[in-house]
Order: sequence, then C-alpha cells, then structure tokens
Amino acid sequence: MTPTADPTALLRLLQLASPTLPIGAYSYSEGLETLAATGQLTNAADLHGWLIQQLQHGTIRIDGAVLLRAYAAAQGGDWEAVIQWNQWLSASRETAELRQSSQQMGQALLKLLGDLVTPPLPWPVAELTPCNGAIAFALAAWQWQLDPQTALLGYLQSWATNLISAGVKVIPLGQTAGQRLLWGLDPHLDQARQQISQLDDHNLNSCGWGLSLASMAHETQYSRLFRS
Amino acid sequence: MEMIVTNPYDVDAGGWQGELELDYGAIAGKTVLQRSYHRAPLKVQRSLYPEGDRCCHTVMLHTAGGIVGGDRLATQIHLAPQSHALLTTAAATKLYRSNGPEAEHRITAQVEPGAVLEWLPQEAIAFNGANYRQTMAVDLEPGAIFAGWEITRFGRTARGEQFLTGMWRSHLELYQNGVPIWCDRQGLPGGMDTVTHPHSLNQQPIIGSFLWFGQPITPELLHTLRQLPPPPQGEFGLTTTQHHGLLARYRGASTTDVKQWFITLWQYLRQQQLNRPPLKLRIWG
Repeated sequence: MTPTADPTALLRLLQLASPTLPIGAYSYSEGLETLAATGQLTNAADLHGWLIQQLQHGTIRIDGAVLLRAYAAAQGGDWEAVIQWNQWLSASRETAELRQSSQQMGQALLKLLGDLVTPPLPWPVAELTPCNGAIAFALAAWQWQLDPQTALLGYLQSWATNLISAGVKVIPLGQTAGQRLLWGLDPHLDQARQQISQLDDHNLNSCGWGLSLASMAHETQYSRLFRS
Repeated sequence: MEMIVTNPYDVDAGGWQGELELDYGAIAGKTVLQRSYHRAPLKVQRSLYPEGDRCCHTVMLHTAGGIVGGDRLATQIHLAPQSHALLTTAAATKLYRSNGPEAEHRITAQVEPGAVLEWLPQEAIAFNGANYRQTMAVDLEPGAIFAGWEITRFGRTARGEQFLTGMWRSHLELYQNGVPIWCDRQGLPGGMDTVTHPHSLNQQPIIGSFLWFGQPITPELLHTLRQLPPPPQGEFGLTTTQHHGLLARYRGASTTDVKQWFITLWQYLRQQQLNRPPLKLRIWG
C-alpha cells in the first residue's frame, strides 16, 4: 500500500515547509513582539484573530500570489518574469524590517537549494539577489516538482507555524495552546489558498496598517527577542 | 495655456471621463506650466509662485464636487529636467457611495533628471459604500525627487458613518529605469472586521502615508526625523524604503494631526535636501 500518490513530493514538501529548515524564519515576529509589548496581543484568541485577518486581507496573500506567479514563470523558463516578480516583491515590502526578513530568508533558502540540487543551477542567481522568501520557495517547489497549489498551502502553513511559535514566546502561550491554534487554522489556510489563486495582477493589494505600524515600532523597540 | 472642454460626461460609460495633463518645463531657472489640457470635472487654477520662480505651485480642482461610481479620471504629469512642481488640491476629495461601478483615477508622472515633484493633495473622504481605485505610477529619472502624501478618512465620521461596505484601493508605484523601487498597494474592503480589527483600521477612521524619495535617508537623518514633534494622538511610525527613501504612516482620528506631522517631516526634508525655508500653504488650513 502506498501512503500517498506521490511519497517523494510529500517528503519534499515536509522538508521545505519544516520550521527546522535553516533559513532563520524563527528570528522574526512580523510585528507580534510589538503587539504583545503594547498590550494588543494578550491571548490565543487575539493571535488567532490576527492570523485570520492576515490571511483574509494581509500581505501574506500577496506573497502567496507572487509565489504562484514565480512558479509558473519558472515552469515556462521565463527567468525574466521571475526576476521582475522578485523586484516587485522587494518594492512592495512596507518596512525595512519586513523587507529584511523576506530577503534574508529568501537568500538563505536560495543558497540552500544551490547546495541541494545538482549543478548547474537553472535560475540566474545574481539577478535574483536579493531574493525574497516567496520566490525562493516557488523555485524550490518547482525544482522539486511539487504541485503549485500544494506548495502554496505548505507556504501558508509554514508562515502560520512560525508566527504561532513567535506568539507562544512573546504572549506567552503554552505549547498545547499553540498547537490548538494551528489546528484551528486549517479551514482558513485552505480558504486563503483558494482566494489567493483567484487574485488577478491588478488586484494584488493588501490592507495591513496594523502590521506596518507594529513593524515600524519594532525597528525602534528597546527590548526585543526577535530581529529587526 | 489652452483650454478644451468636450462633452466630458459620458452617460453610456456611466460617469465623468475627466482628464488632466500638466507639462512643466524649466526656463532660465523658472518652472513654467508649459502645456495644460483639461477635461471636466478636472481642472487647475492658475500657477502660483509663493516661494519664488524655481517652484511652480498648482492647485487641482474637481469641479463636480466629488467622485462617483463609474467615473474615469486620468492625470498625466511631466516634469522636464530641473523643473520643480508642487501639486495640491483646493479641498478634500469626496468619494461618494457607489451603487456598484468602480470609480478610477489613474495618475502617471514622469520626473526627468534633477526635477522635483511634490504631490500633496488634501485628504479624501471615502463615504460608506464607495468603490474607488486610484493608481499612481511615477517614473523617476536620475537625480529626480518625489515627495507625496495621501490622507484618507473612512466614513463621514461626524455623522457616525463607518466604512462598512465598498472597496477602496490606492496603489502608488515608483520606478527607476523601469524597475519598481516602491510599490505601496493598499486595498481596504469595507466591513466590520476591517473597521474594528487592530490589523486594519483599529476603530480609527483616518490613515495617512507620506513618502519622500530623494537623496538617501541616512540612519542619522532617520533618527533626527524620529525626534521631530509627533502627532499628539494616534499611531504612527517611520521606516526606510529600498534605496533609502522615507515612509511615514499614521492611523488615528485627526486630519489636523496627521497633516501637521507630515508637514513637519516634509518641511525638514525640504530644508535639508532642497534648501528651502519652511513653507506652509494657506490652503492646507
């Protein structure tokens, strides 16, 4: 009996979406540390609500939509389009901190991919530097032959896992509360995946003033666990 | 200056087809509005020079009182090398409730080498149910400077209105050599969750952004800007964009507060980078 139609794809997705992937995702809190410090994030329900707002209206949708576009471009061998989407994503990061976290994770993942795949690398590394996280994730998913919708769901899940881990530290919450939160996000993650797939280019916009302001404040926060 | 008005209200399209084309040149150190074309309801007042010849001030008008669903407005701005234009609006822009169709204002600007564009309109008021899309694309050539702000009030709060239905979008994109360097694409769907949740409006009716893109904002300058008098209330912050531009954001309850803060930042940067004494336009109140 086979556990899934494509065991290799499943294993690769688990590796790519794993919180132990050494790309430094754990070092960033995407504003959660500031929200906790200012009393806007005090319990599991607050974090649940925040993540759902992000999935419905926030920038994570834009990352997801660009991931799908970069995947399709890589599949079609259109590296110029991959480069342009990467530039577009860099320009759309709202704060210095959010840009740094996206690019640091993207660069680390791109380097890791270079170490894992057999040379020569199919993508133009220099023109993709600095590479954003969603672009590097798309390249990995394409290279490892994951289905794009599954890859997108994995990307959203790994994003949520990282923020829940950050929330567990800064609120703080118990580990079980964190897992319960992630468990409860299942329908929302898949709903977000579906909505992201429907977004057309001229509606790639988001609404996340709370994140933008929290991230700006975090850049000058006096005492912090997470990077800025 | 030529003035052409041709049947601008298109019933079939369901709204105004307004246009504005402004072409600035620099002649012997004076910025001149060399060509201006307009189609109602968009229009400009005559050029003003409250701070000398170098900078031409232009006040834009919307003569129909506000923007309704179905309107298609287009503004094109061109600044020749070394010219300097400051554009503002005569009054707040009303974005009326739509019974469905989207209203759109497309703004494009080409800022040639060494030119300065300051886009400093008064606030917009999005009525509950408004369906509005604004896109602004600015092409910045080497040494060109762009300063811009945008202040939006969601709902006519004086009468207790909230932005519970409708859609507001505002996209600002800056390009250098065809490469996007700043893409601020805001899209706020009306709803109880976006109005109340801390992720979006946090029960505050007003949001504002100010962008300065000129000579690099150094860490020292950023530090200094953070020490300038902040808005007395509301949430606000500063950060840097790619290539060291400055972004300020505000979320709160007072257009007076946010305007004053943006003016403070703008005056400081203008003094630093354009060698201009502090200026405040009477029209801003």
